[in-house]
Amino acid sequence: MTMTDTRKSILLSIGLLFLFVFIGELVTGDGSRHKKNLTEYETLMGLGEKQAHVPGPIEVAKLAVKELRHPFYDNGPNDKGIGTQLFFSILRVMAGYLLSVIIAVPLGFLIGMSPVFYKALQPYIQILKPISPLAWMPLALFVIKDSILSSVFVIFICSIWPMLINTAFGVMSVKSDFLNVGKTLEMNNVKMAFTIILPAALPTIFTGLRISMGISWLVIVAAEMLVGGTGIGYYVWNEWNNLDLASVVFSILMIGIVGMALDAMIAYISKYFDYQE
Amino acid sequence: MDTNFLNVKNISKSYPIKDSNSFVTIYENVSFSIDKGEFICLIGHSGCGKSTILNNLAGLNLVSGGSISMQGQNVNKPSLDRGVIFQNHSILPWLSVLKNVTMAIACKFKTMSKADIESRAIHFLKMVNLDDHIHKKPSELSGGMKQRVGIARAFAIEPSLLLMDEPFGALDALTRGKLQDKLVEICDKTKQTTFMITHDIDEAILLSDKILLMSDGPEARVAETVIVDIPKPRNRASIVNHPAYYVIRNYLVDFLVNQSSLISQKLKTGSLSDKDLPLTVDPLQLKYNLENNIINP
Repeated sequence: MTMTDTRKSILLSIGLLFLFVFIGELVTGDGSRHKKNLTEYETLMGLGEKQAHVPGPIEVAKLAVKELRHPFYDNGPNDKGIGTQLFFSILRVMAGYLLSVIIAVPLGFLIGMSPVFYKALQPYIQILKPISPLAWMPLALFVIKDSILSSVFVIFICSIWPMLINTAFGVMSVKSDFLNVGKTLEMNNVKMAFTIILPAALPTIFTGLRISMGISWLVIVAAEMLVGGTGIGYYVWNEWNNLDLASVVFSILMIGIVGMALDAMIAYISKYFDYQE
Repeated sequence: MDTNFLNVKNISKSYPIKDSNSFVTIYENVSFSIDKGEFICLIGHSGCGKSTILNNLAGLNLVSGGSISMQGQNVNKPSLDRGVIFQNHSILPWLSVLKNVTMAIACKFKTMSKADIESRAIHFLKMVNLDDHIHKKPSELSGGMKQRVGIARAFAIEPSLLLMDEPFGALDALTRGKLQDKLVEICDKTKQTTFMITHDIDEAILLSDKILLMSDGPEARVAETVIVDIPKPRNRASIVNHPAYYVIRNYLVDFLVNQSSLISQKLKTGSLSDKDLPLTVDPLQLKYNLENNIINP
């Protein structure tokens, strides 16, 4: 019997998972100290307690089950469920990201349509693009005077560049054959933009949207570590302060899973606008 | 007053050479005319500006000198009166076959109802035998089928003048033959006025009333007008038996192999003057038209 390649890769994936868990368990301890009998004084001093340690996979899995059973619990400002934290982060990412889409896509469209505009804006884009979004944070905090809105602004400023550049590039590289079809059909500029240029450029625009979503999710964690309050970034930092490394590892995993889901979402939507020549 | 349907007078095209003040002239002193219902082919070597002339006629690209007028109107921008079939079919890949055609019809007949547009599109897709594939995306079609969509799209808007830029150039010989037959059939039926660029001599003889021959570029000219005096309707299988066929064919081959470069040399040295061009040639009688006042070859 022969196996399909898909089956082989699934089996290999599962095999690797077991390998990682096994190695993880081997190299991590449970934080307990020397097993010798402690004196009463040593017990009182807490030497019998477990030490902070890098958690093994099984310990993280146990915590994950516990956390995911009640993802939205709320025991006050410093103890909220992982679901709540992720929800706040996603909300901020979406706000900044959508604001960015609203501005970057039309602007990128205009830049792509006009070579003069494109050349004129190039130096600004090239200078602004490499700035770490977090570098804007102090300025944002001072001007906006609100930590949550500031983190939204940081998402906005980091996601705008890939969208802008990809949209402009997509519009500029629409094949002249397609434009000629529109011209010979006597389309005006507006009709040309919506029936020829936009559909032709959409796959490239979506590439930009996907890159931006990835960057936004990377940046929100760092931004929330700075501004605090709520969100997955704050959660990670808070658990670090609590020296709860199992929670730290668990939230790292959750950040990865949500990031993957966000990317898959954009990829799914973009399928409807993709075309093959 | 010109009575011809389309008049091309002394057009030229030149481009500035990069990093210098001089210009390169692709072609100049090109004049010809097309009557209503005529099928004209333009043949010449690569680089003589054939496609540029077609784009000039379409209004996609403007001439540097001279003038083009169609039905008394100056041609300076694209128009729905001039349909174009592009070499690489230029079907919009994100639209279905049907939508590609309906979009064009909707541009031309602005008041037509949706149902009428669709039935018109289906009618023209049927004409090119694509009615079974109307909901497919272009990526699911073969090269020949895509080109047929292009043909349906162009005919569906009933242009006064149809322009074709090597429409079958990218296809294999068998498919090309089938599409040529289809085109002969459609053109016989519709009496479509057509200007076509081709590399394929047999295709030109099969389809044309007149064949324009271009000398080599740069500074190319339309050097000769060859009359194809073979009665219509023609078809690919029987046309080769017509006594004129090989005479014309040999004449065209000789032109492309020897004369096209010779003429461009003669023009350069001045031994041939622009006022003698284009010569009108009827290869069947193998004699030059006397009104052009040229000696025998």
